[in-house]
Amino acid sequence: MKNLSTWIILGLTLTFLIGPFIIIILAGASAGESLAFPPDGLSLKWYLKVFTIESFRDSFMLSMFLAIFGTLAALLLGIPAAYALNRYNLPGDETIRTIVAAPIIVPGIIVGLALLRYLVVPLDFTVTMALFMAHTALVLPYAVRVVSSSLNNLRADMEEAAVLLGCTRFQAFVKVVLPNIRGGVLAAFILGFVTSFNQVPVSLFLSGPGVKTLPIDMLAYMEITYDPSVAALSALLAFMSLAIVFVAERLLGFSRYV
Amino acid sequence: MSDAIVRLSNLTLSYGKTVAVPDLDLEIVEGELIALLGPSGCGKTTTMRAIAGLLTPASGKVEIDGRDVTRLAANKRGIGLVFQSYALFPHLSAFENVAFGLRLKRMPEEEIRARTQAGIATVGLTGFETRKPAEMSGGQQQRLALARSLVMEPKVLLLDEPLSNLDARLRLEMRTELQRVQKDTGVTMVFVTHDQAEALALADRVVLMKDGKIEQLGTPNELYAQPATAFAADFMGFENIFHVEGGELVSKAGRLPLGFDTKAPILAWRPASVPVGKGPHKGQVLASSFAGAHREYVLDSALGPIKADAPIETSEFPIGESVAFDLPRETVRSLTA
Amino acid sequence: MFLNTREGLALALPAAIFALLLFLVPVGILLSEAFQTDTGWSLRGYVDFFSKPLNQTVFFRTLKLGVLVAGTAAVIGYAAAFCIVNLNPSARGRVFGLVVLPLMISPVARTYAWIVILGRTGIVNDTITGLGLSETPIRLLFTETAVFLGLLQLFMPLMIISLVSAMENIPRDVIPAARVLGANWLQVFFKVILPLTKEGLVVGGTLVFTGALTAYITPAILGGSKVLMLETLLYQRVNVANDFVSASVIAMILIVMSFSANLLLKHIATARK
Repeated sequence: MKNLSTWIILGLTLTFLIGPFIIIILAGASAGESLAFPPDGLSLKWYLKVFTIESFRDSFMLSMFLAIFGTLAALLLGIPAAYALNRYNLPGDETIRTIVAAPIIVPGIIVGLALLRYLVVPLDFTVTMALFMAHTALVLPYAVRVVSSSLNNLRADMEEAAVLLGCTRFQAFVKVVLPNIRGGVLAAFILGFVTSFNQVPVSLFLSGPGVKTLPIDMLAYMEITYDPSVAALSALLAFMSLAIVFVAERLLGFSRYV
Repeated sequence: MSDAIVRLSNLTLSYGKTVAVPDLDLEIVEGELIALLGPSGCGKTTTMRAIAGLLTPASGKVEIDGRDVTRLAANKRGIGLVFQSYALFPHLSAFENVAFGLRLKRMPEEEIRARTQAGIATVGLTGFETRKPAEMSGGQQQRLALARSLVMEPKVLLLDEPLSNLDARLRLEMRTELQRVQKDTGVTMVFVTHDQAEALALADRVVLMKDGKIEQLGTPNELYAQPATAFAADFMGFENIFHVEGGELVSKAGRLPLGFDTKAPILAWRPASVPVGKGPHKGQVLASSFAGAHREYVLDSALGPIKADAPIETSEFPIGESVAFDLPRETVRSLTA
Repeated sequence: MFLNTREGLALALPAAIFALLLFLVPVGILLSEAFQTDTGWSLRGYVDFFSKPLNQTVFFRTLKLGVLVAGTAAVIGYAAAFCIVNLNPSARGRVFGLVVLPLMISPVARTYAWIVILGRTGIVNDTITGLGLSETPIRLLFTETAVFLGLLQLFMPLMIISLVSAMENIPRDVIPAARVLGANWLQVFFKVILPLTKEGLVVGGTLVFTGALTAYITPAILGGSKVLMLETLLYQRVNVANDFVSASVIAMILIVMSFSANLLLKHIATARK
């Protein structure tokens, strides 16, 4: 095979895809005062500064909260749904599947706007509550899909065997199904977490003063500041996402479930 | 005197750091049916791919019809290759599969149609033109793959394990088919196989390969009756091969006195050449299986397991019984390596 | 398989109802606003929207960029996918991992890098002025090109993943067979690879197209208000002008485009031979 052209093509493609990321890391490590690449000297001062900005700390906490609990809520709803869709012959199951998958198809910004106008304003939900529900709804399709594919690989006769041995359906579920889809659930959690954390459009309208998710906060900050701290923050966030995925891959060969 | 249509000189083929074929020399005569035979990993498929141009040699030369094609791309060599998996185009009909190469040459449409129809008829698939490969049986698919290559009128036709995927009866049919096609078209055929029976039945000459080198080159008769080495003998069905030391046969399990003199360091017998029921040696029947015209025994002896075939007419020796056997001089094959 | 339907529904419905109430209903109402005027239902909202040149520009620009990004991603994607599929297994895993990696990183981070690259004092401009090709830095940010590049980088991994998956399904020896029959690489691509990976192309293409269409962050950061796309326009209309009708119209357009793309995808995917 033509080895040289292979390396050129792949090299260019990967540079295009990953190069910018490397640039951000380095730009954030600048010792200078303004955003530039190559950076004037190297220093970690901008990375450290990020931790001192209070609004970032607050929005980080909010994003974490939404990501963790939103995903948990999505799993709480999604696992039974996936199980039911998979193991039962439900009437209208195509419809249910479509409804549950819908959040991915509808552009996020529309969701945010709709929720703002019809839930937050008239029904007086707090913004945080609205964000929480929005993020749950956003992660739900991923939860259902990943757990479904995990269930597909698990044969139904295991549960039947458990029931014949004396378990109730619920016991069979807990003792037989859950342990075996543990990997899928974990994968769904990670996927949901990352999706929620990085989510912008939905949160755009729903964020307000004092209540911002981290990406939104960064966007606002970017509009007024032009120093390397945003680059540093972006790089840190990227590292965090990567670390999570890396750990997941190590723990359970993540790619099997996506 | 036919010319060499394919000449490999000092050919070295490697995959990354591993050398699969070191320094091979081989000449293939025009119009012959030659087999590259050997166990997996012996380099036969690698050599075939090098002839096809799917593998660039690390060093050495490949010549086809007098032309140095070593650096020439696979699509310009004018050879045909029937893959073991057939590699038919799943998205095209049978007709379009066969016509594929012709269309690339931009011939006039009527000529393409004529040659494709003729090619399909040659392999007996007339009527299947509109079927997709997925709708055809294994044997039909193979014939289609054959037609696809033949229609290009290649100088050399390479076939990778052409009969391995077929059941016993189809295998016989296909064997006859290949011989007939070769006789009719006169194309030089090189096929790769691990099955010695196939190679012996089909080929004019057989190249037995081991670890990337030619172990023995000869006619089927020569290889069958006169294997030159222990490896060749073993491959050709001499299942009892032993070293000779001080007038005795030796193996890992023990020794057995040899009834005659010999200068050869290694002796070999076919199972059919080992009489059971009479002879100076004794062995215990370990296994016995029915094989139609004969019965196959495995005897446990001082030398370890001995494979012996007895004609079906002799009465069966039960397992566990101790029987006599012989390793006679009349049917021995002497080997030097 | 269990036959107790009531039980099954009880398990599945909470999720469905949640999605319905929280999601589809509000969105539905929002969309209906596009049809409403003081005098009852009509298509006035749409007509008004499309009659403004700015809106037309934004609409066509969004469509154009969507197609361009999808097309470019397809071309580069095929090349990259072909290379990946032909690598030895260990290299393939690593390269594939590198391609998928960016997907896990926040789009904010990925887009922000372009500011560093395309800004007035960014890499490209520094090179250009450094080499003497121009006296002053060229404006590269807040142009369609910038948005194009940002979107391409964002969505290309999706295309590559799709194509690699499709290519892995081509039977092993089919490409060498075509080569031996005389095909050069261009012919191999059009006569063998393309027909056999058609589905992957559609999947990837739809994902990239829909993504580009409904992207917010990248056009916001790299296009600002100079290069508006449908989503950034929507945000602007709501935040700046409280114009909910326009917002609903845009929302409807986006959903229709997104939905049709997804329907097309499903149709092709299920129309297997």
